Amino acid sequence: MNGKIVVEHLTKTFKKGNVQAVKDVSFEVEEGEFFAFLGPNGAGKSTTVQILTTLINATSGKAEVAGHDVIREPEKVRRYIGVALQETGVDPDLTGREMIELQANIFGFRKEEGKKRAQELLEIVQLTEAAERRIGNYSGGMRRRLDLALTLVNEPKILFLDEPTTGLDPSNRMAIWEELRRLNEEVGTTIFLTTQYLEEADSLAHRISIINDGEIVATGTPKELKAQIGNDLITLTLKDENQQAEAVEYLRGQMADVDVISRHNKVLIYVEEGTKQLLEVVRLFDQEGYEIEDIQLSSPTLDDIFLKITSEKKEGVRADGE
Amino acid sequence: MGNNLWKDTWLMTVRNIKTTLRNPFSFIPNLIISAFFLLVYEGGLSGISQLPTFEGANYLAFILPVSIVSAAIGGAGGAGQSIVKDIENGFFSRLLLTPASRLAIVLGPIIAGMLQLVVQTLLIIGIAFLLGLEVVTGFGGILFVLLIAVGWGLAFAGYSAGVALRTGNAQAAQAGTFIFFPLIFLSTTFVPYDLIEAQWLKIAATINPTTYIFESMRTALIDGWVFWDLMQGVFAILIVCTITITFAAVSAKKAVSRG
Ligand SMILES: Nc1ncnc2c1ncn2[C@@H]1O[C@H](COP(=O)(O)OP(=O)(O)OP(=O)(O)O)[C@@H](O)[C@H]1O
Ligand SMILES: [Mg+2]
Repeated sequence: MNGKIVVEHLTKTFKKGNVQAVKDVSFEVEEGEFFAFLGPNGAGKSTTVQILTTLINATSGKAEVAGHDVIREPEKVRRYIGVALQETGVDPDLTGREMIELQANIFGFRKEEGKKRAQELLEIVQLTEAAERRIGNYSGGMRRRLDLALTLVNEPKILFLDEPTTGLDPSNRMAIWEELRRLNEEVGTTIFLTTQYLEEADSLAHRISIINDGEIVATGTPKELKAQIGNDLITLTLKDENQQAEAVEYLRGQMADVDVISRHNKVLIYVEEGTKQLLEVVRLFDQEGYEIEDIQLSSPTLDDIFLKITSEKKEGVRADGE
Repeated sequence: MGNNLWKDTWLMTVRNIKTTLRNPFSFIPNLIISAFFLLVYEGGLSGISQLPTFEGANYLAFILPVSIVSAAIGGAGGAGQSIVKDIENGFFSRLLLTPASRLAIVLGPIIAGMLQLVVQTLLIIGIAFLLGLEVVTGFGGILFVLLIAVGWGLAFAGYSAGVALRTGNAQAAQAGTFIFFPLIFLSTTFVPYDLIEAQWLKIAATINPTTYIFESMRTALIDGWVFWDLMQGVFAILIVCTITITFAAVSAKKAVSRG
C-alpha cells in the first residue's frame, strides 16, 4: 500500500448517448502530493473520480490507487481512500453525529472508538454545536463540511474531492481550504481535487492538470502553467474593427514574448506584468494610429486559459500541416 | 469479508429502523387504511355473514386477512422507499464507496421493511382481538397467519426493492405499489368466491395470487387445520417470491456493479 495514484490511458465511453467522457488520460500523483484537476462543466472530472474511487469501471486503460488496481481489487482501494463526490452523500434523517458514527462503524471502529472519532471530526469541521441536529436541517455549507468529515473517518491515505467548494460562500470555502492544507501538510494525505476555479487550484495544489472535453490539455505546477498562460490578461477593442488583424500582427512583432490572440472584435494579450505592459500596448497603438475604444486588465479566467491552449493547439496543427 | 456481512447488515438494518421511526408519515397512513378495512367493513358488511355460504363464520375473521395483507404490503413497501431515498440523497453511493458488504447495503432496508411489516401486522391482529376476534386454531393459527403475511410481504419487498434499485426514482417505486395494492380488490376480498357474481371478477380472483393468500389465512382463522387449504397460500408465496426476489437480486447486482 502506498499513497500514490497511477493512471494509464484511461478511457470511459458511456453507452447512453455514446459520450466519450474521458479520452486516453494518463497521469501520476505522488504520495503526499496535492493534485488538482481543473476543468469546465462536462470536462470529465467526475467521471475520472468515479473510476478512481471504484464506483464505475473504465472502458479501457488502467488505474492504480494506493498500490491496488481499481478494477481487480476495489475492496482494498476502498479501505485506503476517502471520497467526497460532487453531490454530498448523507442521510437527512440522521444527526451529524450519528452519521459519522455509522461511517466509523462501517470502517470497523468499535462503538466507543467510533464515538471518539466522531467527536474529533465534528470538532475539526466545526459542527459540534449542530451535531445533535438532523442533517436535513443543515445548510449547504454544513453538509459539505460534514461530508468532508465523513471522508476522513478512516484516516485515508488518499482523498478524492470532487468540487468540494462549489456553491459555498467565502467563509465556508476558506474553512475547507484550511483543512485540506492541514491534512496535506501535517498528515501527509495525498489529495486529488477537482475544481472549476483556477484560483482554487492555484492556491492549493502542487500540480494541476487542465482537463477539457475528456482530455488533459496541460499539466504543470501553478507557476509553470501561469508562465505558460501569463499572469494577467489585457482585453482591448479597437474603434475600427477592420484594423484588428493588422494591429495584432504589429503587436506580435513588437512584443515578442507575449501571447496575442484575436477573438471576434477583441484582442486578448497574456502578459507577465499587467500595468507596465498595458501602458506599453497603449503607447505602441498610439504611435501607429490604432485608436483604442476600450481596454481592460484582468486575471485570466479558466475560459481564457482554454481559449489560449486550444488556439495554440490549432496553430500547432496548422504549422505541422504546412 | 464474510464476517463483515453480519456486522454490516446489522448496522444497515438499525439505521433503516431509526430513519423509519423518524418519519411516522411513512407508515401511519397505511396503518390507518388497513385498520379502516377492519372497522368499516366489519361495521358495514358484517350482515352478509348471515348468508348460508358463510356457514356461520364471523365476518371479522373473514375480513381480517384483507386488512393484514394491506398492512403487510405497506410495511414491505418501506424497503423500496428507503432504498430510493438513499439513492436520491447520494447516501447509497457513499455506502458503495466504503468497504461495507454490498449484500448488506441491500439487505438492511429489506430486513427493516420486514420488521415494519411484522409490527404492523401484529397491531392489526391486536385491533381485531379488541373487536372480538375468535380464532379456531388459536395461537398456532395466528402464528401461521403472521408467517403468510411475512411471506407475502417478502414477495412485495423484493418487488419494491427491485424497482427502487432499477430506477432510483421515487415516483417509479410508488407506482410499483399500485400494482400490488389493487390485487387486494380483484379477489375474494369482501365475499367468498361462490358469492362473486361478475364472471370477470371470478376469473381475476382465480389468477390473482392474493386470493390464495386470503384463503389460506381464512382457513387458519375460520376453518381450522385443513392442510391443503393452508398450503395454497404457501405455494402462491413460493412462486411469487421466486420471481420477485430474483428480480431484486438482478437489479441489486446491476445497481452495485460498476458497468
Ligand atoms: N452516467 C452517465 N451517462 C451518460 N453520460 C454521462 C454520464 N455521466 C457523465 N456523462 C457525460 O460525460 C461527460 C463528462 O461528465 P462529467 O460529469 O465527468 O463532467 P465534469 O467535469 O464532472 O462536469 P461538472 O463540472 O459539470 O461536474 C459529460 O458530457 C456528461 O454528460
Ligand atoms: Mg462533475
